[in-house]
Amino acid sequence: MSRQEMNDRIEAMLEKVQKAPRYTGGEMNTRIKGWEEAPLHFVFCFPDTYEVGMSHLGMKILTGLINDQDWSLSERCFMPWVDMMALMKEEGVPLFSLESRRPLRDFDVVGFTLMYEMSYSNVLAMLDMGGIPVERRDRGETDPIVVAGGGCASNPEPISDFVDAFMIGAGEEVMLEVNRVILERKKQGWTREVCLKELAKLEGVYVPSLYEAEYNGDGTLKRFSPICPEAPERVRKRFVADFDHAYFPTKVAVPYTEVVFDRITLEIMRGCTRGCRFCQAGMLYRPVRERSLETLVRQAEELVAATGYEEISLSSLSSGDYTCLPELIRELMKRMKDRRVSISLPSLRIDSVLKESLEETQQVKKSSLTFAPEAGTQRLRDVINKGVTEEDLIEKVRDAFAGGWSSMKLYFMDGLPTETTEDLDGIADLARKVVAEYFKIPKGERAKGLRVTVSCSTFVPKPHTPFQWAAQDTIPTINQKQEHLREVLKIKGVNFNWHAPHLSFLEACFSRGDRRLGRVLKRAWERGCLLDGWSDQFKFDEWMAAFADCGLDPAFYANRERSREELLPWDFLDCGITKEFLWREKEKADRAETTRDCRQGCNGCGIQRIRGLCAYADPKRAKAPSPSLVPYEAEGGEK
Amino acid sequence: MRIIAIFEKNERVRHIGHLDIQRAVQRGLRRSGLPVAYSNGFNPHILVAFASALSTGACGEREIMDVKMAEETKAEEFLRRMNDAMPPEMRLKEARAVDDRHPAMTALLKAASYEIRIHDPIQANRLIRSVDSMMAREEIPVSRKSKSGIREVDMKPLIHALRGEGQTLYAVLTLTEKESCKPSMILEGLKREAGMDPEEEVRILVTRTMLLGEGEDGGLRPLETL
Repeated sequence: MSRQEMNDRIEAMLEKVQKAPRYTGGEMNTRIKGWEEAPLHFVFCFPDTYEVGMSHLGMKILTGLINDQDWSLSERCFMPWVDMMALMKEEGVPLFSLESRRPLRDFDVVGFTLMYEMSYSNVLAMLDMGGIPVERRDRGETDPIVVAGGGCASNPEPISDFVDAFMIGAGEEVMLEVNRVILERKKQGWTREVCLKELAKLEGVYVPSLYEAEYNGDGTLKRFSPICPEAPERVRKRFVADFDHAYFPTKVAVPYTEVVFDRITLEIMRGCTRGCRFCQAGMLYRPVRERSLETLVRQAEELVAATGYEEISLSSLSSGDYTCLPELIRELMKRMKDRRVSISLPSLRIDSVLKESLEETQQVKKSSLTFAPEAGTQRLRDVINKGVTEEDLIEKVRDAFAGGWSSMKLYFMDGLPTETTEDLDGIADLARKVVAEYFKIPKGERAKGLRVTVSCSTFVPKPHTPFQWAAQDTIPTINQKQEHLREVLKIKGVNFNWHAPHLSFLEACFSRGDRRLGRVLKRAWERGCLLDGWSDQFKFDEWMAAFADCGLDPAFYANRERSREELLPWDFLDCGITKEFLWREKEKADRAETTRDCRQGCNGCGIQRIRGLCAYADPKRAKAPSPSLVPYEAEGGEK
Repeated sequence: MRIIAIFEKNERVRHIGHLDIQRAVQRGLRRSGLPVAYSNGFNPHILVAFASALSTGACGEREIMDVKMAEETKAEEFLRRMNDAMPPEMRLKEARAVDDRHPAMTALLKAASYEIRIHDPIQANRLIRSVDSMMAREEIPVSRKSKSGIREVDMKPLIHALRGEGQTLYAVLTLTEKESCKPSMILEGLKREAGMDPEEEVRILVTRTMLLGEGEDGGLRPLETL
């Protein structure tokens, strides 16, 4: 099919689909580089719909970075909705990039970002629709190199049959190195194999075809090792050493249609010092690194000027911990007020929100406040190391109600390790106390319309966390617990939100799965599973049938407790924190013992092995100049 | 004072709906740094009005925005700064400064001219051959959806001009706040005239080429010149 003909067919399809702007591009600040302008052609694929993908900061960073190089260009591609997919199939149109409307197979590099496990089926679907053999072993010399990165790459094994090379850790550090190697392949005419071996030499790159896995009789991993000298025994993730000066594009695309996060995202900090034991991001994105006030104010100014957005949200794992938060908010409010830009603070932590900043955000907009106690009793909060007390929460809630808020969201998890009925009842107790605080304020002084929303999600044990050995509750157990919560949360003024546990169960399988799950994934996709993150598309029974077809038991992955000795599928990755630290934390969790915030002293998580990276590991070297140049210290440094 | 500006909505963004186009213009105004006026109230918004909403799927060659300024602004400066701030898909072509007392564009709007390109040459031939006979009729009935259901209306008084050439229909159709004739109605009338199955799919590309008002002589004039 000629490009003209393909374009005509696309135009005809766009007249029939529900939301055509998902596929048309042309947004403010998007660049269309001429195909001949740059020798290396990259397509950034987001394995979910446009509205979800365009809210993703990483995509903006990486497409900006690639387009800034005169030797490379990056186009975009998203998962089409079912109506579009059906038309494409009917018309024989392959999955195409938004910018130049070329099929994915025409690019040199096809890059996926893996944000959540339940987007894996979309990766397969997009490869297939884009004209690329789904399994890496079927790809030939003319096929693109398929790369992937993002949070889920911290256990790449379940999707490793479909990806040629993974980038572990910070994409902005390794992306251009990967592209340069692939450009060399193009120039020198390297075979696929040579190219992949070259990629494996890069720090932070994992090439699954260069490793082999062996299993024990009980299904656990026996051995996992490289099969050639180019591939390292352990792959160490990449860190952004100088976060304050790290690449951050300010001319970001402004979608025409509404997307999930339709506002400026200002990343104020990466990492978190809290050490919540369930939180994978908190473990993976260590150490904590803050952007300076000057950098943030400049970025905010540039972003507002380049996008025209009406709202800035401060983003990080724990914005309340940002050292100069009140100063930052005050400065931003001062500069943005005349421009009618509002500032919002997401992911508030209840023990760090300053009353002062609360009052300042209110000056522009009074939305619902979100608190995340995560567990209902102090004992369980200690188990998960959520260093928050009931007094903290109640005090903040009291301040918020007194400050004129009436709408509050409380986030919890069910199925946490060691959870009992008492802990579930604790959730209801806490909700009741929050309601009581509202009524303590005299009528007339408090804002009208009390609304307390209690949301409960099902706990999913994640790799690289102290709970990586833990069993997830079975679906019937979670169902019972949720039933109990529905009963005890029948409280006036309180709304209870929960989700059926099936998706969390599958997420648990894939987050801690091994490479054998590639077969299940392929089978599920063949059975029609895709867009699993959308409840109206999710086909749980087909997934279970896919497991059965492959002779694998999902409970082996989700509901089994692992022993300390077991070789875990992601053990070959060095993400900074050590397995010893995680096990220590697991044992402390079993004893309901807390671990201090890193800001109060180093806990020896493993990051301190990389000299100068963590400001709290060694106060003497806190501001060491270029930490990336300093090699690892010996493992013994950990105490 | 206000600025009346002509802008284009090109083919790439033709599927963007009117509300989203409005928001894109508002964000463009914010990016431009021009001294635009805001509404009062809790959620202040930029005081910008559009002469007419353009339907999703249609291109516009000369759409009109009407922006209230907080400070005196030259039309040329408005044009220059907005074109730096808008995506190439939505270029501004002309701008004119008017007094606050200048009537609202919507109130002056009487009609619009359209180009309706018929994708399939065979269908185009059939439909365009029926233009003259349809226009020769006393009444041209078409069905129209309203709250009370589907009813037949006579669209003849709403057609100022209609001719066909090649694969394209050129039409000037009534467009006021009270009544309007849409390109799809013309298509329906022609299908009826040509004896085609009303269910037969006809792919068209609609471009609204100009918005029109009434001149002093009673004739139609470009809206922005009034």
